Amino acid sequence: MIGILDIGMGNLGSVWNATYESGFDPEIVIDPDDLDQIDHLILPGVGHFATAMEKLCEMGMVSPLRSYVESGRPLLGLCVGMQVLATEGTEGARTPGLDIIAGTVDRLPVNPPFRVPHIGWNAVSAVRDHPVLERIKPERDFYFVHSYAFRPVDEANIVARTEYGAPFASIVGRANVLGCQFHPEKSQANGLRILENFCRWDGVC
Amino acid sequence: MLKKCSQCGLPETYETIEFDGQGVCNICNQKSYRDGAIDWDARYAILADLIEQYRGKHDYDCIVPFSGGKDSTYTLWRLVTDFKIKPLVVQFDHGFMRRGLRENNLRTFKKLGVDVLSFTPNWKLVKRLMLEALVRKGDFCWHCHTGIFSYPMHVALRYEVPLVFWGEPSSEYTAYYDYRDDEIEEVDEERFNRFVNLGITAEDMAGMIDADFEFDRRDLAPFTYPPLRSLKRLGYRSVCLGSFIPWDVRKQVGIIERELGWKGDQVEGMPWDAYPYEKIECFMQGMRDYIKYMKRGYSRVSQMVALDLRNGRIEKEAADRLVEQFEGRKPPSLEIFLEYLGLTEDEFNSIVMKTVVPPHAPDLASLEVAPRTWDFDQWYREAPEDRGIPCKPGACRTCFDCA
Repeated sequence: MIGILDIGMGNLGSVWNATYESGFDPEIVIDPDDLDQIDHLILPGVGHFATAMEKLCEMGMVSPLRSYVESGRPLLGLCVGMQVLATEGTEGARTPGLDIIAGTVDRLPVNPPFRVPHIGWNAVSAVRDHPVLERIKPERDFYFVHSYAFRPVDEANIVARTEYGAPFASIVGRANVLGCQFHPEKSQANGLRILENFCRWDGVC
Repeated sequence: MLKKCSQCGLPETYETIEFDGQGVCNICNQKSYRDGAIDWDARYAILADLIEQYRGKHDYDCIVPFSGGKDSTYTLWRLVTDFKIKPLVVQFDHGFMRRGLRENNLRTFKKLGVDVLSFTPNWKLVKRLMLEALVRKGDFCWHCHTGIFSYPMHVALRYEVPLVFWGEPSSEYTAYYDYRDDEIEEVDEERFNRFVNLGITAEDMAGMIDADFEFDRRDLAPFTYPPLRSLKRLGYRSVCLGSFIPWDVRKQVGIIERELGWKGDQVEGMPWDAYPYEKIECFMQGMRDYIKYMKRGYSRVSQMVALDLRNGRIEKEAADRLVEQFEGRKPPSLEIFLEYLGLTEDEFNSIVMKTVVPPHAPDLASLEVAPRTWDFDQWYREAPEDRGIPCKPGACRTCFDCA
């Protein structure tokens, strides 16, 4: 079953609709115990790193999420849902993340004339093949809205980069975990394809 | 004077056309890419895999939407003979099928031994749709564009047959899908909305005609693209055979003539000797072409010689002569069309003039009338009491009957 984690601050509806229209029957997950029935988990997010982590802690989700990942089942983080996969965030104050992919989340550098937040469509350049990117052509545009970006410790965990004054990691991945800085649920045909590919992915790269 | 492609002669009013520095159009450049850069052996292998992936798993191996024109006939023949596929043939009857076409179809179905479903939508609604699309877009064929592409998808769902094979890819004649992208053209809702439906969904259409026309919303179901979710759950693929084998109309016509006894026909406004194989399936084709000439300053004659010029099968001078001699003649079917919609010719002209594509500026004063085809007298005529489109009680579109 496809699960969509509700931490009370994501654009749940868009993600649910996108996966539902692709033919799946996604379930909203609130209770850590419900993770047992989930074979693909999506962690959507809109908002602040520290608030997202606070919600995950309140829900008692931190350790169950780590166990979920250890079980080898696929996890997809979107936007702040991708950022909280990091070791640490710096938005507001230094805040520990889920530490599923080692790295930090830092503010996008100021590179005039590129304004922060980075809002709109931008090209995503894959640096390696990934099953979730199957049938997505190089340099396709996806929809971004963010001020912070993931900086993985190990460059090998960067799946795709995007240029916005300077390059940043727009997709990160390690084993059965993937994170997209952009919003596939808002990115038309190619975004839907990413979500569909994810829902069919066995978690093996 | 319209700017024209230096190679194929298509004018600047042609849909999606662009010209390069040498004045060659993008349709010609797509064709060069198709012939030079696409790996057709690899494409053929993809086709073979696709067919094997679906073979024997459902009541039919695939659905073949079928008009009986040269492209769908070739598609069906090729799939049945080359791939030994068991298809369900689905016919959407737009209301204007000709005797020659029906005879071709019967012969093809019998020779190939296939199951066939045919569907005809509500004629009263079709007339109202024709009027609305004519007024809004200068293209009365909305019911056919949409029905042809949506109805077979409904059949795919009902019969649970996920693979659908169309014939000619649109990259052959427009650039909505460009061969240079080197992608398989998916015949899906995105394509449907991109150009097939003229930017008008069935839901839009319901709202457009509702004020003056009495109909049941369910009547529009055949023109509505089925929900993506249903198609995804079916695991559908909807593709063109021409995305896997390079399309060659003249060669393919020769094959279906030889193998199936397929026959061409006279088409209003066309040179009957040079082009007896194109658009034989509809007796409103002459009208469609005439409107195109009024709007865009060219007709199917230009399109056909463009295809031959691109393939090096006609000299430019001979092509120009055909265009000069045959293009821009008024079709005899105009009279029948006006009866259907209850319009006078002046009303019709004033509607179409609002949809003219600049810089073309039509001159309708001195148009010749094209000769009648052999079957003109067999074409459906509306009885005097049925002509036009009645408004629902108490309502009146600012229509030409009542204004």
